[in-house]
Amino acid sequence: MNVQILRLLSGMSVHGDQHLAEVEKDLAQMNVLLDEAIKKLYASFMAIHQAVELQQQALISLQHDSTPLPEVAHFEALRGEISQHVGAALTGLQFQDMTRQLISRMAQHLAGLRDMCGALDADESALAAGGDEALQAMLNHLTERVDARFSGLACGLRSTVNQRHMESGDIELF
Amino acid sequence: MSKTILAVDDSGSLRQILAFSLKAAGYGVIEAVDGHDGLDKAKQQQVDMVLTDQNMPGMDGLSLIRALRKMKNYQKVPILMLTTESGDDMKAQGRAAGANGWLVKPFDPARLTEVVKKLIG
Repeated sequence: MNVQILRLLSGMSVHGDQHLAEVEKDLAQMNVLLDEAIKKLYASFMAIHQAVELQQQALISLQHDSTPLPEVAHFEALRGEISQHVGAALTGLQFQDMTRQLISRMAQHLAGLRDMCGALDADESALAAGGDEALQAMLNHLTERVDARFSGLACGLRSTVNQRHMESGDIELF
Repeated sequence: MSKTILAVDDSGSLRQILAFSLKAAGYGVIEAVDGHDGLDKAKQQQVDMVLTDQNMPGMDGLSLIRALRKMKNYQKVPILMLTTESGDDMKAQGRAAGANGWLVKPFDPARLTEVVKKLIG
């Protein structure tokens, strides 16, 4: 019975470690993809913004020479509208900064769980000579190891992200 | 001559967005990847304002502010925290460390430049 309990714990340790390692790998890959995506999105967005800006300037200078004033005013209004959309897009593009922070936090938790799984891996041979007392001692030892791993994780953990929307956050001047 | 702002954040995309927004408003921007890098760059070149994230590997934003405030030439330079953290406790720590303001991410470029203008013109 005692050996079965230790086998169960060791099994949990090994399988838990395998599953968590896969999740960790996928999270790291997701981070790479998000990073790559945001770089491309940002570069394309900036290129479009620059092109639109140049186009607007060219159109306005053409209009000044040949067309009535209302058309120029319309282009100026459009320019203002575009500028607002650019601002909103730049606010939205900051999603990657927050997801990166959350992924980093998840990775820390996963590493902590893997560490804890590792601590569950018990040595069956230590029970060979003992009975319930040896099991009790071993379980106490395992509990201490798990607690120590948990405390270690809590110390170095990054803060979570509580934002629920991608609109501008509060500003407070002291 | 344009005023220079030191933007400290470990996120490359956030630094890009900050630099674009501030340069578009006519400011010069120096980028730093964490608190240590920020401190080094602040020593190399006197800047007119510092914008810093809080959660960064190595040296965090609060530690950077404390280190800057110990330097004579940075005692009156405006320093803003730009972070996902919005808790009152963190804000109080920022204030005690010497921050002049607290901006919660994500930021709107127009609102950010308004605040910057208010502080350094």
